[in-house]
Amino acid sequence: MHELGLTRNVVSIVAEHAGGRKVRRVRLAIGPLACVERRALSFCFDLVTEGTVLAGASLEFLEAEGDTFLIKDYELEEAA
Amino acid sequence: MCGTCGCSDPANAVTLTDPDSGEKSLLRQGGIAGGTEGHHHHDHDHGHDHDLPHVHGPNGEVITLEQAVLAKNDQIALRNRGWFEGRGVLALNLVSSPGAGKTTLLERTIRELAGRVEIAVIEGDQMTAKDAERIRAAGARAVQINTGAGCHLEADMVAEAVRKLDPAPGSILMIENVGNLVCPAMFDLGERMKVAVISTTEGEDKPLKYSHMFRAAEVVIINKLDLAPHVDFDQELCRANIREVNPDARLFALSARSGEGLEAWLDFLAGEGRTASLREGA
Repeated sequence: MHELGLTRNVVSIVAEHAGGRKVRRVRLAIGPLACVERRALSFCFDLVTEGTVLAGASLEFLEAEGDTFLIKDYELEEAA
Repeated sequence: MCGTCGCSDPANAVTLTDPDSGEKSLLRQGGIAGGTEGHHHHDHDHGHDHDLPHVHGPNGEVITLEQAVLAKNDQIALRNRGWFEGRGVLALNLVSSPGAGKTTLLERTIRELAGRVEIAVIEGDQMTAKDAERIRAAGARAVQINTGAGCHLEADMVAEAVRKLDPAPGSILMIENVGNLVCPAMFDLGERMKVAVISTTEGEDKPLKYSHMFRAAEVVIINKLDLAPHVDFDQELCRANIREVNPDARLFALSARSGEGLEAWLDFLAGEGRTASLREGA
């Protein structure tokens, strides 16, 4: 129900951390009790990343335990 | 998702109303805390990327974050919790579907415990200050948070409301969340425990259908017992369903309207409140 807000959190945390560098991939760890819908996250991700350093980045999911909901890691674009 | 509920709409405003003075202040403009447009500035978790492992993947550098998506909310919740514990305030997060009788239960609880335990209330609703006014009429201090389109309370809203309300040491702070059996389960506010209210008119199957909420609650109250015979409510089945998702939950069955079964709940509250203030060591 709140995946758009959660996606905005994810994007703002990664964008802040990347500090202006382009991001090509973000990996989230999600547990079965985290209460988040992956399809909804993916759908929102494309919208929310538009115009940010995450634009065009892919979003991947890793299985995790319990109610885990973490940004596992992110991958930067190769420096030109 | 919030395309329909709109809780992340950048135009959405969250407000705090003090029914005593009628004073209304803006808590937040825009979506969930952490967005670039959020006006709350939190001076943590910046400039911390020095000792994180950097790995070169097949394409670019991979940076390990391991950061909880709700970390900002959780940090503020932790601060709230410390504040409550330091003052010996028992903070309860009341959750239910809309119309389960949270406010009526609070009104009754405030009246019954008047003179014994001081209760202050944070009311969360999308719109109107009606509930805070009802609480005030029942004899307790209250502030109203309006989340606008938002579907749940978050820790920073509670922090702001607590600053306004300033609950007394040894008192009970009731945080009445927005009526919603889904989203409030995810957001820690810093409460000692969540109290879920289910009413007999909702049917026995809600704990199974909205299991996250009933699993997150330490106490479950079955309300509107007075209506049970009229709606063919099977209390044993409801209890079994609650047990199935949360075997450790403490159960109360009562009617906030008739007062049936209320005593056990009041005793529990008074006892928990005492424990909270003793823990403070005052």
